[in-house]
Amino acid sequence: MAQQLAMVIDAAKCIDCKGCVAACKVANNVPEGQFRNWIKHAGLRAVPGISDRTARFQPGACMHCEIPTCVAACPTGATYKDHDTGEVVIDQALCIGCGNCIPACPYQARYRNEITRKADKCNYCPERRAAGLQPACVDTCPTKARVFGDINDPTSAAGALFLKNKERLTRVAAKTNTLPNMYYLGDPGPGDWGGEAVVPASMVAMKESAPFIKGMVALSGLGVLAMLGRQLFAGSDHKEDSDAR
Amino acid sequence: MSRRDFFRASGLVAAGAVGGPALLGGLAKARAASPAKPAWDSRFSACDMCFNKCGLIARVENGVATKLDPNPKFLKSRGMLCARGNAGLAQVYDPDRLKHPLLRKGARGEGKWQRIPWDEALDMAALKMAEVREKYTPCGHLFTAGSDLQSQFVGRFAEVYGSFNVTSHESLCLVSGSRAFLDTFGEVPFADVLNSRYIMMVGANRFEALVTPDSIDLMTAIRENGCKLVTLDPRYTKTAALSHEWYPVRPGTDMAFMLALAHVIINEKLYDPQWIADKTFGMEQLTAHVRRYTPGFAAEQCGIPAEDIARMARELAAAAPASMVYPGRRTSDYEDSTQIRRSFAIVNGLLGNWDKPGGLLAARQVGLKGVPFDAPWYDENREDRIDAGKVPMMFEHEGSFVVTRDAVLADDPYPIRGWFIYKTNPMGTAPNRRKTMEMMNKMDFVTVVDIAMSDTAWMADLVLPSPSYLERKDPCSGLQGSVACACVVKRDPVIDPLYESRPLFEIMKGIADRMELGEFFDFTIDEYREKQTRDIPEALAVMDRDGVYYNPSKVYGIYEGRIYKTLSKKVELYNQRYEQMGLDPLPNYTPPAPPPDNRFRMVIGRNAMITQSSTANNTLLHQFLPTNTLWLNTEAAGRLGIQDGDLVEVASPVGSQELRAEVTDRIRPDTVFMLSGYNTLSTMQHLSHGNGASINELLDDDFDAITGNASMHTTFVSVTRKVA
Repeated sequence: MAQQLAMVIDAAKCIDCKGCVAACKVANNVPEGQFRNWIKHAGLRAVPGISDRTARFQPGACMHCEIPTCVAACPTGATYKDHDTGEVVIDQALCIGCGNCIPACPYQARYRNEITRKADKCNYCPERRAAGLQPACVDTCPTKARVFGDINDPTSAAGALFLKNKERLTRVAAKTNTLPNMYYLGDPGPGDWGGEAVVPASMVAMKESAPFIKGMVALSGLGVLAMLGRQLFAGSDHKEDSDAR
Repeated sequence: MSRRDFFRASGLVAAGAVGGPALLGGLAKARAASPAKPAWDSRFSACDMCFNKCGLIARVENGVATKLDPNPKFLKSRGMLCARGNAGLAQVYDPDRLKHPLLRKGARGEGKWQRIPWDEALDMAALKMAEVREKYTPCGHLFTAGSDLQSQFVGRFAEVYGSFNVTSHESLCLVSGSRAFLDTFGEVPFADVLNSRYIMMVGANRFEALVTPDSIDLMTAIRENGCKLVTLDPRYTKTAALSHEWYPVRPGTDMAFMLALAHVIINEKLYDPQWIADKTFGMEQLTAHVRRYTPGFAAEQCGIPAEDIARMARELAAAAPASMVYPGRRTSDYEDSTQIRRSFAIVNGLLGNWDKPGGLLAARQVGLKGVPFDAPWYDENREDRIDAGKVPMMFEHEGSFVVTRDAVLADDPYPIRGWFIYKTNPMGTAPNRRKTMEMMNKMDFVTVVDIAMSDTAWMADLVLPSPSYLERKDPCSGLQGSVACACVVKRDPVIDPLYESRPLFEIMKGIADRMELGEFFDFTIDEYREKQTRDIPEALAVMDRDGVYYNPSKVYGIYEGRIYKTLSKKVELYNQRYEQMGLDPLPNYTPPAPPPDNRFRMVIGRNAMITQSSTANNTLLHQFLPTNTLWLNTEAAGRLGIQDGDLVEVASPVGSQELRAEVTDRIRPDTVFMLSGYNTLSTMQHLSHGNGASINELLDDDFDAITGNASMHTTFVSVTRKVA
């Protein structure tokens, strides 16, 4: 089975210290005032006495979805789902900074990096992983609320946690369900904030017309091949051109 | 075929459609290249963004530290680094950092400085210190240092210079709590949070005011070990939000609550009689004393239902000895804060949790040794500290800042005219900032060593830049934390010192040389470390390898067969020494004064991104907390016609400030709260200068009658809406 990198988060452990947010900003040079990850609040009602225990600080970031609407919104193919690892990747060389992907994410996980002027979001810290480290937010988390890894690998911490709790894992339910690969143990806390993916009509049209365009491209390719074949097998009609030299 | 594959297949068409030839190169790439392993060096250090000294690994590329990560082998911090720890680089590379020695040119606090060379700076510091000593005796010079691995050299210098006027930050923080537990158990305990089954969190906010490992262990205990957490706080903090129960206790009534817990435990005989008989002193007196402190009485005082108080007492006792009243740290709250904390200690005594899993732990062997020296004798010196005799049980090594300040202002009993300050910022941390300013103005010469132009540096005569924790070599330090560890850490530079900064040790050495005291600083940090680790010779190499050295010492049962360091040689529920000194041997509850009409009690507190006054100017942390606000209860705000976000004026008997109101249900209607560190005077702290309000400008400077600990919760303020 291919990998599926994901986060399995115990929101009940989060103390909202912002360690993960600070670590991410430093590790990824996230510009001032911009953030790749966050902690949301819910159930924080100051009611004296015995608590209903619904207070949650919910850590989040790009959820590297199964059905990434951001990919659908990207006109250049800069954003794509890496099927080997399950990550949603931004190829910075291809991104034109059009911003289509930003409203296309129902979790507001994307932003336009003010310095690079390109799309930006959580990428699970590939440089750190290459060095054998956890993503910065996971590494730094005081209570280790964030657990990261391949959920298809039962020997990984994330995989073990994922398998053990499979029935009680929840996801943030956005209005557009993208099947996010961020799982929360038990009650994740705030669940009403996931929005609706807004993919530009032009992109939808492009997506609809894609088979047609592909067909056209294929047909034109066939045409070229036919001409080539004709040239190879039927020979040239213009012998005089070469003879003239 | 995915969209991307499609574009790749139909490459030219797509590129033409979206923008042209510039993209062709990019499209030709099969995939975004998988990143290479970064070319960083990993170097160990210990964090210095607060007092916790969590273990870290600095990633350094081409001489530049690019990321700080937790050291997974560092058990005290449980392999974590908080937001402040991550923001260490923003402090190190802060453009506002002090870069070279500065000599004051204009009036004090005017902000006119002249850059001078180091030699001239050290000559001047030595000359001025010699002048003060000549004119006012060695005790005419005050030395103040914050909590740092090099701070001990300030104490050493003061001693060889001849002054016993040394103060620290502690009397603005926790000395009353330390006193209370010391006078009950004979030493100041660590809390075994991790193994506790029931924790009463009163006057502490452990999920926001991070203390390692307690903050982290608290979550593990409640989430994984089934520990129950009950929080009493006038504010609905994050700790309150994550607790099983929260009560917005009326400020200043904690003692009534504790004495009622004791009442129930004793009345219902919920204690271990064997433990009480064998290990404690004064159960009879305590029994008589708490008779009147019924849950009903406490309920009237603290606003927590009597049946809940009784239930909590029973639950605590049922979980004993693996239950506790968490000792807390910042105990600078009331004029009887030592007695308040004594009531905490007494309940722990009744629970019999001392030296046991889930209870309060004794200090362990770390293995480090002191480096003694013989200080010279000065015949002309004074008999005692300037703050001596004003309160009965001060900690000699910490002093009392507020008492010292009053004594300096009054020249009573003798004048102090010189002040040397390292890595602490009384202008930004002590209550009644105007008095600190007056104290500054009284001085002939003030020298401040710091990495940034704090408000204290701003008021100084000579400001000397020191390197940050990532740029210097520090002595070894022993750390303990709960059951986590008894360990030793050191700091080696992970990057070269920036600018002209010089470590405190070299500054002290330089001044000492010029004052013919050089023999007392005639060593290197390496030699000093070797002396410190003489009993654990392997420690230095182990620290090079792991970033930390652990001493495998006993955790529980340290007191088996050992006597307690108290007069009765037992846990003193009833304190005999207090009795001899004419102090209350058992804590007597005095109800706090209610806020006068239209006034609020101001309380202080922490946030996980705040270290007193040293983080408000941090560019990274500033993004989380751009300013401070006044927490004001919704009902009270409605009465005053104040809306969320309105600019308000907060006025106290000592000063007034303006800031935005945060109208919230998360605070009692009779109480207001704001964070510290904002609205600095120093314009060289560009994010905190003129931003928000200074709490020090508002707080009155009352103090605890036993230790001289500042009492930060005794100020009443008025709040009025400012017409924009």
